[in-house]
Amino acid sequence: MLKVENLHATVGDKEILKGINLTVKAGEVHAIMGPNGSGKSTLASVLAGNEKFTVTEGKVEFEGENLLDLNIEERSRKGLFLGFQYPVEIPGVTMANFMKLAVNEQRKSRGLEPLTAGEYLKLMKEKSAIVELDSKLTSRAVNEGFSGGEKKKNEIFQMAMLNPKLAILDETDSGLDIDALRIVATGVTRLKTPENATVVITHYQRLLDYIVPDYVHVLYKGRIIYTGDKTLALKLEKEGYDWLINDYKEE
Amino acid sequence: MVVKRIEELISAKTIPASGRLTSGGWTFGEGSGYDVVVESGQEAVLLIADNANLGDLNIDVARGATLRILNIIHDHSAMNIAVAVAEDAQCMMTQVVVSASDTRVVASLMERGARFELGGVFVLTDDDQASVTVDVNHIASDCQSHTSVKGVAAGKSHGSFSGLVYVAPDAQRTDSVQSSRNITMGEAHIETLPQLEIYADDVKCSHGATVGQMDSDAILYMRQRGLSLADAKRLQIEGFVDDVVLHSVIAGSEEVLAELLAEKLNRL
Repeated sequence: MLKVENLHATVGDKEILKGINLTVKAGEVHAIMGPNGSGKSTLASVLAGNEKFTVTEGKVEFEGENLLDLNIEERSRKGLFLGFQYPVEIPGVTMANFMKLAVNEQRKSRGLEPLTAGEYLKLMKEKSAIVELDSKLTSRAVNEGFSGGEKKKNEIFQMAMLNPKLAILDETDSGLDIDALRIVATGVTRLKTPENATVVITHYQRLLDYIVPDYVHVLYKGRIIYTGDKTLALKLEKEGYDWLINDYKEE
Repeated sequence: MVVKRIEELISAKTIPASGRLTSGGWTFGEGSGYDVVVESGQEAVLLIADNANLGDLNIDVARGATLRILNIIHDHSAMNIAVAVAEDAQCMMTQVVVSASDTRVVASLMERGARFELGGVFVLTDDDQASVTVDVNHIASDCQSHTSVKGVAAGKSHGSFSGLVYVAPDAQRTDSVQSSRNITMGEAHIETLPQLEIYADDVKCSHGATVGQMDSDAILYMRQRGLSLADAKRLQIEGFVDDVVLHSVIAGSEEVLAELLAEKLNRL
């Protein structure tokens, strides 16, 4: 589904990604961990198509297409979803209106008719239940005045609405209390199918108690320096990153 | 077209240019030029929409009366609206500007307990040039005023807002809020000049003015969900100006105002 080869990216004249290799297949869950400043969020942003970053080298293939040729909205319409670490507040734009446009754009790109008002309401109701999102929130402005937990639930709600092939969740667990974490993580798990894939960027092992990864990657200084299975996350939780980083320095 | 619909909407309550509302109803043809009087205790609605050559409009809102004004500027025009508000009377105004124009509103709160509110928006595109002035004179004590004007300028347009809140020496316990918020795009400019002139000591006056660009994080967020750049921009601007429409002083005019703005926003 996703094949990243030797990806380099810069912001300004600072190189942040220094040769990422990553392959994600349908049905898989990948976790990306690593110390602060290692490039995790940059990787998510670059894959999503944030124009703040410049790709200087490498290839990214998504569903057989050259992802780097597409702009951010085209990537979204191809089925790539980014759950934002800091969801943006958009005053005056209601969630319901925003999502209606988004859903219909996605449908249009797949050659489908726009949803009728009734179909749309039904979809919203069904999907907001997945993350126990208060239905009142959908009539409010996007993320405006939402609590930290509501903002993150709202990200997963949007993911449910858009039904992406690949979801990249950038620190969806940050700032969540234990209940909100469980709800968000359970939501993600319920959306998992053999046809889609999830990349979870996280600092903490606790999220991975709910979203069980097939692979755990450690990102350090712009490169994936180690890949293991779910037991790697547990080891990192206990022992930190030092043993890996030390290994890496010796290389 | 849109204006026609607004006229139909409120035709029963509308006077075209000048008149006097008493307990016996509106009478026209009295007074000179464009003078409007809302007599004591009456409630009136005034729509100003076909305004190409309006010029000066003088309005008196007598004791305890309420006047709601919807001012739609969709054609090149210059106008001066002067409103004098008497004891415990109020004037509420919604002003929507979508064309090159020069609009000046001067509200004078003449007696205690008078109130003035204005919620306005101007949206300029292409090479529109527009200026909006809202001056509020607090002449008497215990009066309230609230002015909020939002501006959007795109293309090569140029907009300006100028707002003076004057508080006379006797106007104690004045409560006044003034805000000017603006978004510019491309080569467009907006100047904002909020001014306070206060000669009384027991007053509550606040004012704020901003001129900024669109929120690029919000645009990015919307595009990540599949919206095109143009749709994301339009949605954001609609969200910015929407509250003016939602709080229109004439109930039922929201939809037509939204259409009028949407038509203009398509030109961004």
